[in-house]
Amino acid sequence: MASSFRFLDDIALADLAFEAEGDSVEELLRAATRALLETLADPETVAETWERRITKAEDDPADLLFEWLSDIVYWKDAAGVVFHDAELFVRQEGSAWTLEAVLRGASVDQTEQTLRNDVKGITKHLYDVKQDGTRWYARVVVDV
Amino acid sequence: MTLQTEMRVNRITDEVWEIPVTEKPGMVVPARIYATPGILHSMDRGVFDQVTNVACLPGITRYALCMPDGHWGYGFPIGGVAAFDLETGVISPGGVGYDVNCGMRLIRTDLTLGDVRPKLERLMTELFRRVPAGVGAAGFVRLNRDSFDAVMTRGARWCIEEGYGWNRDLAHIEEGGCIAGADPSTVSDHAVGRGINQLGTLGSGNHYLEVQVVSNDRVFDPETAAALGLTGQDQIMVMVHCGSRGFGHQVASDYLKTFEKAMRRYGIAVKDQQLACAPFRSPEGQEYFAAMNCAANTAFANRQVITHQIRGAFAQVFGRSAEELGMELVYDVAHNIAKVERYPEGELLVHRKGSTRAFGPGSPDVPRDFQKIGQPVICGGSMETGSYLLVGTDRAVRETFGSTMHGSGRTMSRAQAKKSIRGEQLQQDMKRRGILVKAVSMSGLAEEAGFAYKNISEVVETVDRAGITKKVAELRPIGNIKG
Repeated sequence: MASSFRFLDDIALADLAFEAEGDSVEELLRAATRALLETLADPETVAETWERRITKAEDDPADLLFEWLSDIVYWKDAAGVVFHDAELFVRQEGSAWTLEAVLRGASVDQTEQTLRNDVKGITKHLYDVKQDGTRWYARVVVDV
Repeated sequence: MTLQTEMRVNRITDEVWEIPVTEKPGMVVPARIYATPGILHSMDRGVFDQVTNVACLPGITRYALCMPDGHWGYGFPIGGVAAFDLETGVISPGGVGYDVNCGMRLIRTDLTLGDVRPKLERLMTELFRRVPAGVGAAGFVRLNRDSFDAVMTRGARWCIEEGYGWNRDLAHIEEGGCIAGADPSTVSDHAVGRGINQLGTLGSGNHYLEVQVVSNDRVFDPETAAALGLTGQDQIMVMVHCGSRGFGHQVASDYLKTFEKAMRRYGIAVKDQQLACAPFRSPEGQEYFAAMNCAANTAFANRQVITHQIRGAFAQVFGRSAEELGMELVYDVAHNIAKVERYPEGELLVHRKGSTRAFGPGSPDVPRDFQKIGQPVICGGSMETGSYLLVGTDRAVRETFGSTMHGSGRTMSRAQAKKSIRGEQLQQDMKRRGILVKAVSMSGLAEEAGFAYKNISEVVETVDRAGITKKVAELRPIGNIKG
């Protein structure tokens, strides 16, 4: 199991929360990305007619994940899109963690897409990224 | 049933409960919760933890408060109220919320249920077409950076100047729909990018546009109701619940990050990262205040443009102008905001997060039309039950920094609600009960099922009995639009 995510039932009464895990920071980010994309819309119903290349660098994986997920929320509103998938790669160089990603999706289309929640922001409430042995875990609460 | 806290909670009255400063290290003032015993026992652990965390913030005055619709939030609980000394106190985005100036607007009509019921399907379809809702929806108003700056500084006034409403609307909006001190230079390009295409949109989550009916048996104070333009007699009303959309959300996100760093510089320690704050008089505090006011004005403008669209939809469906249909604005009030207000202690910065201003009769901040009755307070319930119109009181000004409840408050998580019912089923059930729902997202609809919320009537009874607001009328839904 390289990576996975699950939505949490009871820790965000008015909002949504998920846990993601992976064998590496890169796999963790892939799982958390899938969770956020699923929160916004069913990715299977979203075409790939919009694309954005994004590079980010942060000093630790927790900041990298937070900033990356916040970027996805930004593009949702700024470009009026929802997402099919994101191809992403993470590398560590010294103390810096760098993400290179291609975010793919399509303009919002209520007739074609199964739309879900309009996420307002990624929060730091109960936010946690940790390594346990060889596995990386994250807990994220999103404000809807 | 036991309370969801180990802290001591003392009864002050049947509707007011106090957690003393001895219950948590660092509390500067006691915490007070407005609730009946039943509501108090149904409150989640987060309410007790978070209201006492707020009571630890520097410069807090008198009490950290939570209203009866309170539940777990980010930093502050939803339903939270706290006032801070301007010189020694702080400002916190966690005390305002991600959706700056999320608020309620109520529009009256001269139409009755008999007029509307035969045309309800067509009316809801037209409203759904004219008021974009749901994730990523864009509005019809095209703005460039200069005109968006004007929206930030002029709020609903900008809308009136552009023809999206009537001049007299402004008198019935909190702060005249335009809060002073908004400075567009304090907002990021990211915030502008998220909001510039969203004027006139509802969003999703618990935001809605609702067509409602007020029947005679649900008018509790006929004289006050009449002063607010309510006739009872199966009168049709329209309620809107939304805020500053992606723009306000980004302002909150940006300044939470700014304040995390600023706190280290100012030596402020908080119990929860989401209570990140800065001294109100600091450069960071003043910048957030100016940016938050930009978002607040944008929210007033958002609800004003939506009002313009609602009036257009009614005029088209009923073949008469909005003026002829009597579609006057009853009131528009914020429930996520921080404002400088005067109290016996002097000028204070009052944070209201999921709490509504509730000034009493005679207050200079209450519109001239409502000087004798007090400020209108609009409280939205779940889409299945009903909403309430209330008025503010002098007692609220004395006890709660002029604040009261804002809605019913959730008792069930979104995930649990979705497991309990499918959106399509809920839509059908509601249709059978005479409530026509148009929704962008069926899963989002299921999350908003009535059983996921407290009984709003019990919440309203609490604030009515506590004397911090006086109930005027109940409004029952017949049509609802959700994102």
